Amino acid sequence: MPESTFLDSTELVLNMGPQHPSTHGVLRVILKLDGEKVLGTDCVIGYLHRGVEKIAENRTWAQFNPYTDRMDYVAAISNGLGYCLAVEKLLNVEIPARAQAVRVVLTELNRLASHLLWLGTHALDIGAITPVFYCLREREEALKIFENYCGARLTTHAFRIGGLQYETYDGFEREVRAFCKMFLPKLDEYEDLLTNNRIWIGRLQNVGVLSADECKEYGVTGPMLRAAGVKWDLRKAQPYSGYEKYDFEIPTRQNGDTYDRYIVRMQEMRQATRIIEQAVESLPEGPIIRGIGLLRGERRRPAALPGPGAPALFRELAGIGPHGERRADSGRGGGDRNTGYCARRG
Amino acid sequence: MADEQKPEGSQAPLPAKGEAAGQPPKPPTPAAKPAPPKPAAPKAPAVMAATPWDGELARSVKEQFGDGVKETSTYVGQNFIVTMPDAAIPVLEYLKAEAEFDYLVDVTAVDWPKRAERFDLVYIVYSFSRNERVRIKTQIPDGCKPQSAVGVHLTANWLEREVFDMFGIEFAGHPDLRRILMPDEWQGHPLRKDYPILQQDQRWVQENLGIESGQ
Amino acid sequence: MTGERLEEIHLFGKSVTMGKLLRKIFLVDLFTGLKVTFRSQNPKYIYTEQYPAERPKVGERYRGAPRLNINPDNGETLCIACNLCALACPESLIVVGSERNEQTKRKELTTFTYDTSRCMFCGLCEDACPVDALELTQDFELATYTREGQIWDRQTLEEGPKPTPYKC
Repeated sequence: MPESTFLDSTELVLNMGPQHPSTHGVLRVILKLDGEKVLGTDCVIGYLHRGVEKIAENRTWAQFNPYTDRMDYVAAISNGLGYCLAVEKLLNVEIPARAQAVRVVLTELNRLASHLLWLGTHALDIGAITPVFYCLREREEALKIFENYCGARLTTHAFRIGGLQYETYDGFEREVRAFCKMFLPKLDEYEDLLTNNRIWIGRLQNVGVLSADECKEYGVTGPMLRAAGVKWDLRKAQPYSGYEKYDFEIPTRQNGDTYDRYIVRMQEMRQATRIIEQAVESLPEGPIIRGIGLLRGERRRPAALPGPGAPALFRELAGIGPHGERRADSGRGGGDRNTGYCARRG
Repeated sequence: MADEQKPEGSQAPLPAKGEAAGQPPKPPTPAAKPAPPKPAAPKAPAVMAATPWDGELARSVKEQFGDGVKETSTYVGQNFIVTMPDAAIPVLEYLKAEAEFDYLVDVTAVDWPKRAERFDLVYIVYSFSRNERVRIKTQIPDGCKPQSAVGVHLTANWLEREVFDMFGIEFAGHPDLRRILMPDEWQGHPLRKDYPILQQDQRWVQENLGIESGQ
Repeated sequence: MTGERLEEIHLFGKSVTMGKLLRKIFLVDLFTGLKVTFRSQNPKYIYTEQYPAERPKVGERYRGAPRLNINPDNGETLCIACNLCALACPESLIVVGSERNEQTKRKELTTFTYDTSRCMFCGLCEDACPVDALELTQDFELATYTREGQIWDRQTLEEGPKPTPYKC
């Protein structure tokens, strides 16, 4: 804690988080308060630090892909897309058009799912309980498409380096179209509930104002930058995965407060729906993955045996010593050792 | 802090840019294949080295800084400037003032344990008006204290704290150089290549978590 | 309805028009919201699944509990002990034990250990399997009372977990 938290008679230091309903276990803020006025903050952000970079150093390129899902578990597909694009760029490969289009559909659906979770919980934190039910209801429909497509709802591992692992399932296009058709009226409903709601406006307008210059200075992009009036979107500025083919707009607002960010995100959801509709209308035929051969450096890696990190029983069953060496007497594992499981069945 | 260069592995010699290069692009196979095709027969990967970058910006930076700029190159459409350690911050300042590179995307480092200048310090800057991204790289030895970029870009504050936390590079003139992700009392800098994946600060774990080991 | 018309509304706005004043007095915005709420009260829109009683139908490609398939004709395992799944696994949680059969000169599977407690169900092992022996099934109930119960040996993998079914 910095020495600036020294107290005088009217000041109070309050610890908020990491176990606080609005920080979700990821953030601790040491607040310096004078009554309700925040005089200073000190943020501790390491609670969710899992060292993915270190994990990546110890995995092959393809093996690291599922870990990217876990960086932001409500935007797993977007993270996977970023990772795949980065590796493909290093490899200097172009992936098939069909894979690009399916990637866009799924990524934009993921944007909707992620925004819906944001909207629901944001409203919940403000004190409006109703929207969270509706948002999660619609989010469920998007998650069902993910589950049918790749077999998982949150940590999807949908994309592979070089394209896609899974061909679209029967009815994929129909379901996506139905989702878009269903979703737009629902967006109007959310806006009916919130946009003109007096409490909502009162608690969002002129809160957390960041001007465009401040955003750039602090490296803030995305909806926050657009809410401050900068018409900038990476999908337009440096299109990837075929975004240049789709017709959409960049919603912007001027004030840079929380209310404008809300409006920008709501507009973004409409634009995302537009992109999905266009992409799914023109899904090209063709291969979904291109072979990229062995990545250099992958072959010299031996099959890693579980080391000291593996549970003791696992090492025992698998015949592996405490430091990951294979023991000579391996091959003894029997069903009766699985006591934990049997006891439960008991 | 997703820097695509980090997982390249420590064995690779410089230039790093060619390390991850794959085969040259070939036309996609015509038939639709639901199942993943077998990877092509492994050939010796064609090493793609960085090529010199000779744009207007590169020329003006070279003119301005002379010997301070070692190299201006480009690799798969990504331009970068390699500078002497002292010149990195002036180059950032120059780019911000003269070329509107007003957004510092990331500050990060790459560890090359076998090299004399052990670390690559990488600044990524972006210009909204030019829609252009440039990386500024500089090589520094272990124990060297490079100048902080907080005076140029405010956001460098936390980014440099992260580099300090993960690599142990101290920045001279940083207003608040503390660990940012790891606990304050933690020993060691996890993203150095000589820090194995299972290593941890046993003493910290035992004292603060009350368990024998985090494994 | 878009965001455009909202710009007009300010808290305690200085120059409110008559229309806006009336909207405020008659709580029009409140009733618009309430209309949405009451429209959703219709019982035919019930969305909640009564989980243990009503079981969800998971996707066909769902990646759940692992299974080691056996050939239904002769009861032998399909696994050829090629170790590709162990190589593909990011968490190194699969260990394949094999033995060379001197008569047939083939590698035969002896043990197969799979640690579901560390598994993230990414499906890379399943993708790597050349004979479709290892498969992630639609079974999603993997909770156990002990950590050791999460470590599956060959027998559990072949027979599948047998959780106690919920009775209602």
